[in-house]
Amino acid sequence: MSTIPFQQAKLVELYCLEPVFFASRELSDTYYTEGVIGNYALTYALGRVNSPYRLQGEATGRPTYKEDFQPIAQDFYILPASPIGRVTFRFERFNALSDAYWYAMTNNRVATAREDLPLQRQGKKPSSFRPSNFPQTGRLRMIERRNKFQTLVFGNHQLPNYIRLGKFMSKVKVNVLNEFPVTLLPEGEYQSQHYLNAADLPQQIETLAFDLISIPPAPIIKNLRFRGAAWQVGQMIVPAGLHFCGRENSNE
Amino acid sequence: MSIQKLSSVIATIYENFPKGRFITLVVLRTTHSETIFRTEGSGEPMCSEFVQAGLEGENQKTIIQRLVMTKRKQVAPERRYGREHLRAHELLYTNIKDGSLCSLNTNAPCEMCTDCFLYGFAAGGGGAQKSRIWTEDAFSILPASDVVGDRTINAIYETGTMRDEKGNPSTALNTSEYIKPGVHFLDVVTLKDVTADELRYIIGNILFTSRYGAVSSRVGRMENQILGVFGSITELPSSLELVQATYDVLGKPLEHPLNINQLITASKQVIANWQNKRGVSVHLSEAEVTNLLTDVETNWSEAERDNFLKRLSQSYEPFRQVATEKKKAKAKGKNTLVEVES
Repeated sequence: MSTIPFQQAKLVELYCLEPVFFASRELSDTYYTEGVIGNYALTYALGRVNSPYRLQGEATGRPTYKEDFQPIAQDFYILPASPIGRVTFRFERFNALSDAYWYAMTNNRVATAREDLPLQRQGKKPSSFRPSNFPQTGRLRMIERRNKFQTLVFGNHQLPNYIRLGKFMSKVKVNVLNEFPVTLLPEGEYQSQHYLNAADLPQQIETLAFDLISIPPAPIIKNLRFRGAAWQVGQMIVPAGLHFCGRENSNE
Repeated sequence: MSIQKLSSVIATIYENFPKGRFITLVVLRTTHSETIFRTEGSGEPMCSEFVQAGLEGENQKTIIQRLVMTKRKQVAPERRYGREHLRAHELLYTNIKDGSLCSLNTNAPCEMCTDCFLYGFAAGGGGAQKSRIWTEDAFSILPASDVVGDRTINAIYETGTMRDEKGNPSTALNTSEYIKPGVHFLDVVTLKDVTADELRYIIGNILFTSRYGAVSSRVGRMENQILGVFGSITELPSSLELVQATYDVLGKPLEHPLNINQLITASKQVIANWQNKRGVSVHLSEAEVTNLLTDVETNWSEAERDNFLKRLSQSYEPFRQVATEKKKAKAKGKNTLVEVES
């Protein structure tokens, strides 16, 4: 890759005004958020692409990252956001109650059909008392308010002052810290300080060593040492040719 | 009519894709009785957070613990209020799964009623609807230590004592924290791509919901006021920044209970600056807000309510028809597939 599709990049700080929750991992009734914000989530949150208010039919079967990002990939790219300092978390308990006047806590379920109660007392198991396969109570590990993340936004775009992130649409302030030109470094061995999306790495580079944060939809790579061309943004170095879903061919 | 002044940010009809129309409501929530907001279960302290007291000068350096009214503790009672009326006017639909009437938290939403369209649902695998009402954690203006009290609970036996007929002592003795009456929370509610009738429905839900938090049949009385309405193409500052900026304007010393009029004046002074924020196109004046609220109350009135709720529900009709047609097409496809296989 000899040309750089992006002339400049913005160093952006994300400041959590509210606790942020993603279901990165699920252990029993506890739902964990990893200390990272994925770049696909950020692309939607920044309003570069839209997702519909309602999913129906086939749309519920799989996400549409490729279709959504393809039109904008030529002049926009964003890195996963890495924490500034240590990420702090908070735990919260949640329980979802029904809008009925009568309810009973059964096997991971809030039963509301009072007429089933006599049956249940006879030792029978009415369907409203059976466990449900969606969480009605549990604990959430969320990224605590006041955490800061940083990311690089490639391309010359105006960014909103505030965005909403995660399952609970938590408010996050967007501060543009600096703007840098993007320069191309020749093939060589480099170390990248930034978090990278494994699915977006270019085909050409050789990865030597990295740490992996395994989260959906694509794992996040940190401390990557690689051989290949690189982009330099200020003091930061990332592999050249980062592109939404850039690795797709090797996986399919 | 002030709702017309918002026309540039109001949707004419529900559409599936976002169009960047934001309406921001600035809400002042005041407790009128003891109130309980906690996220860690009974016996735990009130939900609170250490934050900067203000945004300027000394206030910026001072860290205080503020009470938090979390997002879900606002939106859950409010949507339930609207659903009460949808149920009363027979505007809840039956779901396809088991034919039962739409009900929260059953994994079988009807996907067709006003509440489903507006506040959203997620049914495992069968589709989902995003909420177009974005709430925020609301913060108390005063520090938690000033506005939290303790109550001892003892549940006595019917004999009127703490011992039953056999002489066993009651274990139902407990001390629990509560939020004092007269505590103010400032809050920013963001609405996305809502129609005029949806706006009336949401504002109605906010204004008429009167109980929040735990044990709401006994405590949790709360009064909501709309202090400002904005139309914009981006989101406006957060509840936290609003509380901090208001704290700066109020000046010291601050003591519970706050004078509500001074507080309203201070917060209105803060949000007046929001007119100059990037992306703001409409800011309703005081008279226009009053006007809008009168409009909302007229539509929710005994005479108009049935008409209003049915009109709102009717507005989703095209979507309901499309959904059923799609369903048929899918079923057809399945049939052909079976034929091919055989």
